[in-house]
Amino acid sequence: MTHVSVTVDDGHLAALDGVVEGLRARGMQVDQVLDGLGIITGSVPPDAAGGLAAVAGVASVDEQLGVQLPPPDAPVQ
Amino acid sequence: MIDPRRPGIPGDITHGAVGPLPRTTGRQIVVFAGTDDDARVDWGRVGLHRVADSRDFAEGDVSPEALQDAEATVFSALGIAVVTADPGQVSRLQTAEAAGRPVLSVSPELVHHVLGDETRSYTAGYRDGVADLSGRLLAGEPVPGAAPPAAAARFEDTAQATWGVQAVRADASARTGRGIRVAVLDTGFDAAHPDFAGRAVTARSFVPGEDAQDGHGHGTHCIGTACGPRTPSTGPRYGVAPESEIFAGKVLGTDGSGTDAGILAGINWAVTSQCPVISMSLGADVMTAHPPYSAAGRRALQRGSLIIAAAGNNADRRSGDVGFVGAPANSVEIMAVGALDQALEMAYFSARSLPARGGQVDVAAPGYQVYSSWPMPTRYNTISGTSMATPHVAGLAALWAEATGRRGLELWATLLQESERLLQPSLDAGSGLAIAPQ
Repeated sequence: MTHVSVTVDDGHLAALDGVVEGLRARGMQVDQVLDGLGIITGSVPPDAAGGLAAVAGVASVDEQLGVQLPPPDAPVQ
Repeated sequence: MIDPRRPGIPGDITHGAVGPLPRTTGRQIVVFAGTDDDARVDWGRVGLHRVADSRDFAEGDVSPEALQDAEATVFSALGIAVVTADPGQVSRLQTAEAAGRPVLSVSPELVHHVLGDETRSYTAGYRDGVADLSGRLLAGEPVPGAAPPAAAARFEDTAQATWGVQAVRADASARTGRGIRVAVLDTGFDAAHPDFAGRAVTARSFVPGEDAQDGHGHGTHCIGTACGPRTPSTGPRYGVAPESEIFAGKVLGTDGSGTDAGILAGINWAVTSQCPVISMSLGADVMTAHPPYSAAGRRALQRGSLIIAAAGNNADRRSGDVGFVGAPANSVEIMAVGALDQALEMAYFSARSLPARGGQVDVAAPGYQVYSSWPMPTRYNTISGTSMATPHVAGLAALWAEATGRRGLELWATLLQESERLLQPSLDAGSGLAIAPQ
């Protein structure tokens, strides 16, 4: 599974539920609907990620980035 | 009050300033409080009768002829009038009841020139300057304004305050961040730290399987810098906004790692909690802006929340590598903070601007050998990083938010407008050192 963040366009901020339904229909397992930001996070089988962009109201689909801090005893953090 | 040393009469300025004095026209520029179109000034009461008001001209376009004929020309959209008035009329204008509207200032109208007239003298001055400089260099004399041979530390920690708190002038500011919510999205917070006893702290974890307690130290350190107390129980002051309200969002686990899902959830929580300031000392070394962070930054700004992020530590300037601003700081809509050392020069690890839109460092702050709180029982720790510079700016944003009431992009602009320019490339330091309202 690929973890993705789906950014919803300005025109669909008030209709996030419909976008969520569309994403689920295309195979996405939706974990979070961030209504303050218009972003939906979750995971999708690797071969299905491209199809999410076709859902009405989707501005972009991006694979999630990871961040990693140095260990607590590192001089530069 | 009119400055009595500046009578505003053409050719009649005699006080002993250095260099040529500006020429004046004899007219006065009056600035009124506010720009309320309904409150017309009662010019008759100060003895002025030929008044041209921009509201009486098509599209507010007052012609030069009208300006010349009128005793008073009013630019109502600006709340400014140009007045031909004798000193008695001017002093009557300044009494509140005379004009019907409070007057903020009265200053002599200056004559401005295009700079072309001065090219010859400028060129001659430049020639003389170069001759002087080359003479000094050849003679081995010190050159004014040149960097000293060894960079002397300009700031150091004292018993009263860390060097960072001094450099950003938080210790000289009357503002404390009172009433301003500051979200720090990081490794959580040590709720048992004695320096924060009695403080309003809202903590929340967005890391699966972990509570909001800081198991790393980075988060407690960043919260200390942004929000630490004015007078800690022991040691120097290290916090910029001691009366701000702390929102500690844990988006990085005890192992120091996190993902978009948790970070975006933390931003969403901070925005819906109406935090005007969101501090994110985290990032990934990727050169392209990440669309979800750009959208999050834009929508946060629209809702009055400013996201401030670390530019990144991927430089090693000691070996000539200047690095680049990573995500999320390289989004246009997110402020990127570079790190300075005690001499207000770039810390060796502080990342440089990317050429792409949004990839610039916006501002800089202390980020080298920064002392702040650390989870008990260690209590305090001194570490370096753009992670440490970022909460200095977040604390300052809280002070400015308190001082001005500004939010979002206006708060962003205020931080940059008020920052102190440095002799560092703008590629590295942006607008310079962020400082506190005084």
